[in-house]
Amino acid sequence: MKRRRRIGSRALTALVFLFLYAPILLLIVFSFNKGNSNIVWTGFSLDWYKSLFQNRLIMRSVYTTLLVSLLATAIATVAGTFAAIGFYSLRRRSRTVLSTVNSIPMMNADIVTGVAMCLFFVAFFTFWGDFSVWFNGVQSVVVLPERLTLGFGTLLIAHVTFNIPYVILSVGPKLRQMDKNLVDAAQDLGCTWMQAFWKVILPEIKPGIASGALTAFTMSVDDFIISYFTAGSSSSTLAMTIYGMTKKRVTPEINAVSTLLFVTVLALLVVVNLREARAERSDAERHPVSRKLTRLLDTPKGRLFRRGAGVVLAASFLIAVVLLTGATNAQPVVNVCSWGEYIDEDLITQFEEETGIIVNYQTAESNEALYSLLKSGAGDYDVVVPSDYMISQLIEEDMLAELDYGQIPNYALISERFKGLTYDPQERYTVPYAWGTVGIIYNETMVEEPITSWSALFDDRYAGNVLMFRNSRDAMATALSYLGHSLNTTDEAELREAFQLLKDAKNRGVYQSFVMDEIFQKLEGGNAAIGVYYAGDYLTMLENNEDLRFVIPEEGSNWFMDAMCVLKEAPHYEEALSWINFIASTEANLANMDYIWYASPNQEALEQYPAYYEELYGEELDQETYDIIAAPAETLDRCEAYLVLPLETRKLYNDLWTELGI
Amino acid sequence: MSKELIRLRDLCMAYDDELVLDHLNLYINDKEFLTLLGPSGCGKTTTLRIIGGFTTPGSGDVLFDGVRINDVPPYKRQINTVFQKYALFPHLNVFENVAFGLRMQRREDPADPKRKVKLPEEEIQSRVLEMLEAVSLKGFENRRTDALSGGQQQRVAIARALVNRPKVLLLDEPLGALDLKLRKDMQIELKRIQQQVGITFIYVTHDQEEALTMSDTIVVMDKGSIQQIGTPEDIYNEPKNAFVADFIGESNIIDGVMVRDKLVQMYGRQFPCLDGGFTENEPVDVVIRPEDIDIVPVEQGQLTGVVTNVTFKGMQYDIIVDFRGFKWLIQTTDHSPVGARIGIKIDPDGIHVMKKSRYSGLYGDYSSFSDEYDELDAAEPEEGGDET
Repeated sequence: MKRRRRIGSRALTALVFLFLYAPILLLIVFSFNKGNSNIVWTGFSLDWYKSLFQNRLIMRSVYTTLLVSLLATAIATVAGTFAAIGFYSLRRRSRTVLSTVNSIPMMNADIVTGVAMCLFFVAFFTFWGDFSVWFNGVQSVVVLPERLTLGFGTLLIAHVTFNIPYVILSVGPKLRQMDKNLVDAAQDLGCTWMQAFWKVILPEIKPGIASGALTAFTMSVDDFIISYFTAGSSSSTLAMTIYGMTKKRVTPEINAVSTLLFVTVLALLVVVNLREARAERSDAERHPVSRKLTRLLDTPKGRLFRRGAGVVLAASFLIAVVLLTGATNAQPVVNVCSWGEYIDEDLITQFEEETGIIVNYQTAESNEALYSLLKSGAGDYDVVVPSDYMISQLIEEDMLAELDYGQIPNYALISERFKGLTYDPQERYTVPYAWGTVGIIYNETMVEEPITSWSALFDDRYAGNVLMFRNSRDAMATALSYLGHSLNTTDEAELREAFQLLKDAKNRGVYQSFVMDEIFQKLEGGNAAIGVYYAGDYLTMLENNEDLRFVIPEEGSNWFMDAMCVLKEAPHYEEALSWINFIASTEANLANMDYIWYASPNQEALEQYPAYYEELYGEELDQETYDIIAAPAETLDRCEAYLVLPLETRKLYNDLWTELGI
Repeated sequence: MSKELIRLRDLCMAYDDELVLDHLNLYINDKEFLTLLGPSGCGKTTTLRIIGGFTTPGSGDVLFDGVRINDVPPYKRQINTVFQKYALFPHLNVFENVAFGLRMQRREDPADPKRKVKLPEEEIQSRVLEMLEAVSLKGFENRRTDALSGGQQQRVAIARALVNRPKVLLLDEPLGALDLKLRKDMQIELKRIQQQVGITFIYVTHDQEEALTMSDTIVVMDKGSIQQIGTPEDIYNEPKNAFVADFIGESNIIDGVMVRDKLVQMYGRQFPCLDGGFTENEPVDVVIRPEDIDIVPVEQGQLTGVVTNVTFKGMQYDIIVDFRGFKWLIQTTDHSPVGARIGIKIDPDGIHVMKKSRYSGLYGDYSSFSDEYDELDAAEPEEGGDET
């Protein structure tokens, strides 16, 4: 009985550890996978690490992360140490109150801290704007910048803020352990308070400061949520970049960078713990060598050496920071917000080399997410790439700037078919980026006959095997198409009918789940038979699972156009136009089309792509694939683009979606 | 004695509305060994910290050589301190601990009077080594301070303070952490050092025996005020009130009435004494030291009582005698068995009459200062006995 219980508890412990570490282990193992699958092991390789170091987006965010972490750690350590000393010299009652106040930010949900800081910064910027306008009006000696935005500065302030409590928390106990009379003794022997701090307090609390700094650094490197809300559009930390990349799917490249991040943080934690363990061991047990070293360093010469080393370290740190920040600030920039995996990143490098303009490239999850980002004032972007209906909405709300097409000669290369579309009939705001269609992706081996109709998405035969869109517009579109209604209908009866179809199917258990980019994993892994998604993404999935097929149902479907726009308040208008012109070029369109497998709106690129493909891969591009990337005119004729819906209808969509309860 | 060095004028100090120093006035002479004695919370450490400059008094003045030094920071005072638990710098070895003050010192450059220079390293070396030798710690220079015994740490702390050649050395309960034997040795050692360097020592302790052994002058404090100032002999033999009598040595404190000069009445009996200057029939406190009581046969006794407890103390027996419900402590070399009925006799010079004070009636039965007492509130009687 007793024995059995012990086995049970051991098994439980093992299970706990398994759950804790198996996922990380899996991630580490697959970061060394040769292929790009996270499920099938195809052999050992370091390719993903290599491509990681060549990925400029990742490398730049590593740099941002290190810079912000180091600076935030340095500032927070100094501020936190002095704050801890201040706490320490207070009466016990006030100290208890302050300690509690101090620990609230650590306990507080990061998301609350992040949102609060974002709100605070935006509110401050508004106030600052008014103030500086007034100030610049009344005098002309000092000209204050009128527009402040989220960026590296706010990111740094946020990191310093959330790091300080950790420093205080780890310095505090060291101070309390210290003999209270030490400071008095130092002052008694001729020190001013500041001298006493350097000569007596500092050596005593050094271990606390060091572990506080290490904790702060770890927290900084680690942080995603607070950074996400305070970094704005021009800076992106490593965690934010990883998050952006996962929107599409988890590539082994992400495994590699996550592995490195994990190992770094682990190493720091080990250092912290070792330090603490060593501090606890009594000094008598110290290793003779380290004792000898200590004695050596205690000689006048040794002290000189130590001081010298400290000065050199501090100086090189400062120089590094100045150089690094200087390097980024001197150059012109353009802030771009697009979708994940939606550009061939070599284009960014190429553009930067040609023009000397630095590109801050960020991604949003969906049109709706982008919209709320812009509305909240947190996004300080120049160029955005929304879809057709969202462009209409942005124009309607006067959020876009008119483009000076004189500076975009490549606009002429855009196919006439894609100019003057309903979202921008007068061609004033947009330059098309890429277009595509929505269709059904299914696994040949898991269905009874080839699928040709939307009915498959409501068919009980595939119950539990169907993946539906997790956004209202796209999900409703499938039902509206099936029922033969317009995708842009505002008729409540039609909408309710479509909704009922979805709801019934959901209640009958047809849908395995409602997904966005998770669809990649599910279909590639053979975990679902049928899904609905974008044509370009189908081709990516096909690379990993040859059984998949794509069809634009006979009832017709949605086709979409994503176009580049410049925001009305864009701080870098000229640079934004350069970027748009560059991306509109035939070369860029070819590269992008090959990389993302969405169709180009550039007439030359559309025509040249098969040849480009053949030259690049040494094999012919089959017509079927080409037609999936760039649907032929007769297919497009069956498809309908989204238009912006009237507010009433948008509200109805919202209500119905809520009722569906996902 | 010699000239006055420090004067404390009307010092008041309060923490959180609690009065710690209550209009304290005191002067300290040069080269004097002065002890501030009292239970914890009496204000003795606060007084010391005010002299050292670590605490600013709420009101009143601190004069040093006639100059007001209230606002002079500690590092500019010619005063050094030996702290409770020594406060040695743990990251420095013995030598560097002692050298700390010298390394901080700056003096005028002989070549250029406007410039301040550090002391030359040779001078630091020789002064530190000399001082370590003076406190018998030669050869310990490179030891870590936490590898030393309590007594050695103590001597490092003294050396660290004295190496700066201060005019005054403050010592805050410096022997509190040592065991009894070491404490006795250090008492003698401290007195020797004081005589050797010839400077003023201001010593804070709650241990009356320490105070009696070392001091030239004892200042007995309680509740922020001075109860009595005097030589050890004065304090012991002529306590001013019940508090001092109780705190210094062991005493039997009895309610009495001064019949007239040189005659006091206790338990309805009249005892000749040497005190005078009271009004007739004034209620007084009478202090009788345990060693001033002689045990005599019952018929010769001024009072008779029953022995309730006998403790052998080596030099003498501590005998507790019950006189009509009130217990007296008697120290004598003669043994009396428990239960024996004995008589006692007190010589006139063994009877000390004191005016009634705020402390009257607080000390029931025989009383002696003890460490347990230290923990209790100073106002609480040590033994909860009722008086008869």
